[in-house]
Amino acid sequence: MRKPNLIILAASAFLLAIASSFSVKRFQAEPLKITLPANFPAPLYTFKNNPPTKEGFELGRKLFYDGLLSRTGTISCGSCHQQDAAFIQADHDLSHGVDDQLGRRNSLPVFNALFKKTFFWDGGVPNLELVPVNPLENPLEMDEKLDNVIHKLNNSPIYRALFKQAFDVDTIASREFLYAFAQFMGAMVSANSRYDKFIRKEGVQLTVEELDGLTLFKQKCSSCHATDLFTDGTYRNNGLKNDFSSDKGREEVTLNPADRGKFKVPSLRNVEYTGPYMHDGSLETLEEVLEQYNSGVKVSATLDPLLQQNGEKPGILLSKAEQRKIILFLKTLTDQDFLHDKRFSEPETNKITAKLKLNK
Amino acid sequence: MKKIIIQSIFTLSICCLFGFTGPVKKDKKHPGTVTLQFNNVFGKEDFAFKKEYTTAFGEKLTFITLNYFISNIKLTRKDGSEYLVPQDSSYFLVKHPDSLSHLIRLDHIPKGKYTALTFTIGVDSIRNTMDISRRTGTLDVGGKARGMYWVWNSGYIFFKLEGKTVNEIDSLQKRFQYHIGGYGGYDSKTINNIKVKTLALSKVAVSGKKNPLINIQVDIAKFFDNINPVKVAEHRSVMWGDWSVKIANNYYSIFNLGAVQY
Repeated sequence: MRKPNLIILAASAFLLAIASSFSVKRFQAEPLKITLPANFPAPLYTFKNNPPTKEGFELGRKLFYDGLLSRTGTISCGSCHQQDAAFIQADHDLSHGVDDQLGRRNSLPVFNALFKKTFFWDGGVPNLELVPVNPLENPLEMDEKLDNVIHKLNNSPIYRALFKQAFDVDTIASREFLYAFAQFMGAMVSANSRYDKFIRKEGVQLTVEELDGLTLFKQKCSSCHATDLFTDGTYRNNGLKNDFSSDKGREEVTLNPADRGKFKVPSLRNVEYTGPYMHDGSLETLEEVLEQYNSGVKVSATLDPLLQQNGEKPGILLSKAEQRKIILFLKTLTDQDFLHDKRFSEPETNKITAKLKLNK
Repeated sequence: MKKIIIQSIFTLSICCLFGFTGPVKKDKKHPGTVTLQFNNVFGKEDFAFKKEYTTAFGEKLTFITLNYFISNIKLTRKDGSEYLVPQDSSYFLVKHPDSLSHLIRLDHIPKGKYTALTFTIGVDSIRNTMDISRRTGTLDVGGKARGMYWVWNSGYIFFKLEGKTVNEIDSLQKRFQYHIGGYGGYDSKTINNIKVKTLALSKVAVSGKKNPLINIQVDIAKFFDNINPVKVAEHRSVMWGDWSVKIANNYYSIFNLGAVQY
């Protein structure tokens, strides 16, 4: 065989240079700016190693609304986290999974995830990137296996192209899959309610009754529903029940009996739309919730001390008039901009694919 | 011109080929290779799936799953100096019956006479809380670590043993499963079943020429017959609770040094 001469080597180098510049040029995902609200604490997920891009976000959005993530191909994340219900499942006390099975707990809204210390009612997952694996593999929810989802995605030319655009990968792995989710969920920031615009002095005034409600809220509710996230991220037993045999809450994660019956204090943002309420979805309306705190709190060993400050009777004393004002205030936490933000809604292309499947 | 292009493509491919598979430069300072081989046994018998075994308590069992994580491997010399395998490449999942997974090859080991081998049975707590970019390879929850990660209580399963009891009449009642994990908790203290095991070696020499194979015997009979006797009929399913601590204390002592071969 003839030895390769200098000219050929030079030509090879030239071709190599072209090839590499070509590949550099091809990967041009567009950075996505996520605006952090001035009245929120600092985010805990900072997108380190996973800088958000328009392509990554759009991919996360498409995945969020794709039934491919479930064993049966019928349940997507969007099935239980619906935008018009502030990303919970409307009219369901417990989340509704594959084969018409019911989950054990009420679904939680997924927005403002950047600011959460831990996820789920019992805080079992501490990292936003690992959140999607939980519902995906829960037998009562999507009942799939992550590696099988990755396999299905790799079999889809459309997804391969989208992952290539977003992450410059030829083969999809769980890392990129979870990154796309973190980008989409992380970008879901809800901070444009009337309350926000009032507190940030953006030309919105609350009514006298709403302001009364705010004052009452500060006195009676804000120890737990703290900061402008309206949660302190802790776990507490709020006296909804005193029998925890079917669900021990936080104790199931920590195995500490002192955590029995404790659940994550949920944010109250968009609470007007997130009913039914409580970890088991047992209360239908905000009126029922406030009356529960007024007269329904049940004593047990781990009942929160803040609910035992009235001597004999546990709970938070709230007259009907006070309850009404607090509810008026809570409704100022509704962020209509967010609930109607098309960026977070189901992509039209997903809807078409879903229809085609049904017609088959 | 066409010929030149074809030739250059050919040259390019040759270059690439050598770039990826060409001989690795001899690392003079760290010339050695140590291979660990994990041999699962049941008492004096070989360990195999579907084979019937009898525990010290007379229970007849067959096995269908046996996986465990081995991580953070360290070699110690007589003078106390240590060689720590670089952390990012120090996570291994031994998965029966995948025989390749039973062999852990450690390259670039410095020359010396080693008197101890240390490894973690499981995955350290820091790695259990790391973001997804640090969970690749055997730690990929959507890949090799399938079935070795708890989704609801985020953390790796360190040791997984599953099987069936033979004499049970009701087939649904036959299954037993031990999924042991627990790294101590993220924001509240909880079970910590991370076990760091050290095996004393009688001066194992490593050099460019001497590359030892260290056998580690893993006796599953002692998983049951140990400081905390495990009777399957009484503890058919252990995943998260007091008994997981007891079982982890049992399996800590089932990893023992076998022959060292050259």
